[in-house]
Amino acid sequence: MTSTPLHAAIAAGSTLNSRTATSHATTKIADMQNAAAHAWAQTPWPTRTTEAWKYTPLKALEKGEHFTPAAKNTLTSDALKPFEINRLEALTLVFIDGHFCAEQSDDLTQLPTGMTIEHLSDASDLGQFNKAAGEHATLFGELNTASIDAALVISVAKNAQVIQPVRVLNIASANKPCLANARILWQQAPHSKATLVEHFVSTQGSHTFTNSITELFVGENAECEHYRLHLEDEANLHIGGVYSHVHKHARLNSFYLAMGANLQRVDVVTQFEGEGAEAVNNGVYLPRNKQLVDFHTCIEHKVPHCNSHETFRGIIGDSARAVFNGRIHIHKDAQKTLAELSNKNLLTSNKAEVNTKPELEIYADDVRCAHGATIAELDALAMHYLRTRGIGQAEAQVMLSFGFINELIEQLNNAAIVEYLRPVIAQRFANKSELLDSLTNNALI
Amino acid sequence: MSQENAQSVLNAEPLSDADQQIDDAINKEYSAGFVSNIESDTLEAGLSEDVIRFISGKKNEPEWMLEWRLKAYHQWLEMEEPEWAHVDYPKIDFNEISYYSAPKSMADGPKSLDEVDPDLIATYNKLGIPLHEQQMLAGVAVDAVFDSVSVATTFRENLKEAGVIFCPISEAVHEYPDLVKKYLASVVPVKDNYYAALNCAVFSDGSFVYIPKGVKCPMELSTYFRINEAKTGQFERTLIIAEEGSEVSYLEGCTAPMRDENQLHAAVVELVCLDGAKIKYSTVQNWYPGDAEGKGGIYNFVTKRGIAHTNSRISWTQVETGSAVTWKYPSCVLKGDNSVGEFYSVALTNNYQQADTGTKMIHIGKNTRSTIISKGISAGKSSNAYRGLVRFNAGADGARNFTQCDSLLIGSECAAHTFPYIESKNPKAIIEHEATTSKVSEDQLYLCQQRGIDAEKAVSMIVNGFCKDVFKELPMEFAVEAGKLLEVSLEGSVG
Repeated sequence: MTSTPLHAAIAAGSTLNSRTATSHATTKIADMQNAAAHAWAQTPWPTRTTEAWKYTPLKALEKGEHFTPAAKNTLTSDALKPFEINRLEALTLVFIDGHFCAEQSDDLTQLPTGMTIEHLSDASDLGQFNKAAGEHATLFGELNTASIDAALVISVAKNAQVIQPVRVLNIASANKPCLANARILWQQAPHSKATLVEHFVSTQGSHTFTNSITELFVGENAECEHYRLHLEDEANLHIGGVYSHVHKHARLNSFYLAMGANLQRVDVVTQFEGEGAEAVNNGVYLPRNKQLVDFHTCIEHKVPHCNSHETFRGIIGDSARAVFNGRIHIHKDAQKTLAELSNKNLLTSNKAEVNTKPELEIYADDVRCAHGATIAELDALAMHYLRTRGIGQAEAQVMLSFGFINELIEQLNNAAIVEYLRPVIAQRFANKSELLDSLTNNALI
Repeated sequence: MSQENAQSVLNAEPLSDADQQIDDAINKEYSAGFVSNIESDTLEAGLSEDVIRFISGKKNEPEWMLEWRLKAYHQWLEMEEPEWAHVDYPKIDFNEISYYSAPKSMADGPKSLDEVDPDLIATYNKLGIPLHEQQMLAGVAVDAVFDSVSVATTFRENLKEAGVIFCPISEAVHEYPDLVKKYLASVVPVKDNYYAALNCAVFSDGSFVYIPKGVKCPMELSTYFRINEAKTGQFERTLIIAEEGSEVSYLEGCTAPMRDENQLHAAVVELVCLDGAKIKYSTVQNWYPGDAEGKGGIYNFVTKRGIAHTNSRISWTQVETGSAVTWKYPSCVLKGDNSVGEFYSVALTNNYQQADTGTKMIHIGKNTRSTIISKGISAGKSSNAYRGLVRFNAGADGARNFTQCDSLLIGSECAAHTFPYIESKNPKAIIEHEATTSKVSEDQLYLCQQRGIDAEKAVSMIVNGFCKDVFKELPMEFAVEAGKLLEVSLEGSVG
């Protein structure tokens, strides 16, 4: 690996450091950035022998051109129209290539009761910034921390029940390869309830490398509904991480969808910080053409009496590849833990490939853990059944594939998101419009 | 509540009796831990070209064999010790180990069992190995390897009639050089891994089995390994060749004396399973696991692999209860169409034992099938990991794999891990993997106790039931032995 990209990125990090420290908080940020830039420079570049990157080559990044910081770009309101989610009625925050875009975002002065949103650099204190991500720092996490530009802090006050979802719309729009660092710090105080929708999209002809980190802190008895939808075009790259701390009796419900980007890697680390908490991490990945999707999930059962459920399903077609690594780590004192993980894959092409590794690492005895993984093609019996009912081969295939994924979509709590995703996913399988309609409509019933 | 009352409540705790029994059982000694007083020729510790020349010379090996060893040695020097396994042990100083030890009375070479040192035979009798033909369990032929050399091979004449070759590999080098040249390191290449390369350089003995075309081996073949000398390493090499349409069942057992220092055992086993052949390889591994404080014990770093050709079947069954550190992945390369690979494993760890064991199933041919059943039991402060790889190559149409790994945890200080790597490049292949982890069910324990079965016995029953799927794959005598071994190693680790 040449040092060019490393140097470029470090340079990007250090220019930020030259910002004059105006408050205690900004000094702290500068320190953090320096430390992260240093760590980024010290961490060796991942190769095939790096366990966490065994199946995910980073060739696309090795040319180094993706490490030029993205310039500020603006888009018209019309250009943003296609990215709307009908009936979600969310408070929308727009980021273009990692830069916060106030003009296109909803008015930050008129927020739902109990919610505050501020830039990290304006924040009076850093709160829990980098507390969760820092514990599991990765090479790209350091890069993100080294060059946090427009990190937003979204806080929900104690006892606040925010019904309006917050949608963070990240648009990749740069027409030349560049680096966009996106960072969200989401903190929910005890007994609060809120919904976060992370929506990653791209404009035509964009070549952005998005390096995103989201930290979720779910306080005692709080409830967090979290969606992360990756719908970028295939010319973009994305490496990201979602790091959460779930406190006593809190509940985190996350859903991941990966349909975009040529290379997409998401690290999901959910850590229990208090007893009686529950976390659900579900996900769907549908890579095609030459896409590579990589989910590395890790559930840290640090304390007793917590439950975790995880279901990831994928359909891999063309020459695409999928990587799934689902780790359940039960610490020494985490007795009475219940942890489940399931990963099911459908391979639909001779050139497609899937590598899955559901891991259990258990240091407590009074626990119940199970994981399962399958890789197969469509069930021949189900196929036969549909054919006997007069349904054509191609149509039957689409119905079964869609059904396989739709099972997870239908479970989502937010009806607007379900409505938004159903046609998006159906489109992946059905080329004929009548089939598409019937799928979308049937599913509605 | 008065203090007295509190005390009586504590005493009335239902499991306290059981705890006592359990403690007794835990303190049960390793029954194979005696040292035999046999004079032996032991090479000074250290590894160099001269050592390899010495070993080769001792065996009167032909020039090609020596060259092969030296080449392996130089390759080994350039390799690095693997560190990916989920085990933790102080770095091994390879110059602290003696690479050759032979009972002295062997120097002149016994011609038959009658000439074998009676002390040696007594050792085997003590271990319960029926070495003497008259004392044999019907139809088990034994090749016994003591430290570094093969001591005796029983039933050789009977086997010869059937055309089966079963002899120490050092003999095979002389008598069947073509077979050895053709197949040695054909399954596990010299550079396969660090310990395999080391084994190639210094292996001193092991078993060689050749089953001719269409022959069903008339009896079970068996090898017993024993490390007797202190500060020696044991590096045995087993090569089994099953010609087209032949069948063989092979058993392997291991023990070592109790010693404070750790000893190294790095074996290589290669199975060549030609078209339509069947090889069943069973292991009961009971190397000295170290004492209750984790002192001493054997480092068991073993490479076992078989190549299955068209329509053939390789079946690995292992019961692993010994060794301080185990690093072992018996594997199948399913090269031919319709070949079958099986892996049945019970791995039990107690006290400070560490095991990182599992299998690899590489599906290359069409319609290849594999089954993996792994049962891990961890007790005490031990750590037990299943690590497996199931790979379907692009050409493996219609291939199938089913994997089940279950872990049972006994005690709050042990650890159980599962690291399955599953890779598929073929849409016509089906893989199913499931794993569970739980502790001994309190309900089951309660039910047994309620029926008048004490806690110790009940746990043993439950664990035996947990391992049933694997035990039923073992040959009968071994299944009995395995059951007993579990009982001794585990009984009463429940608190």
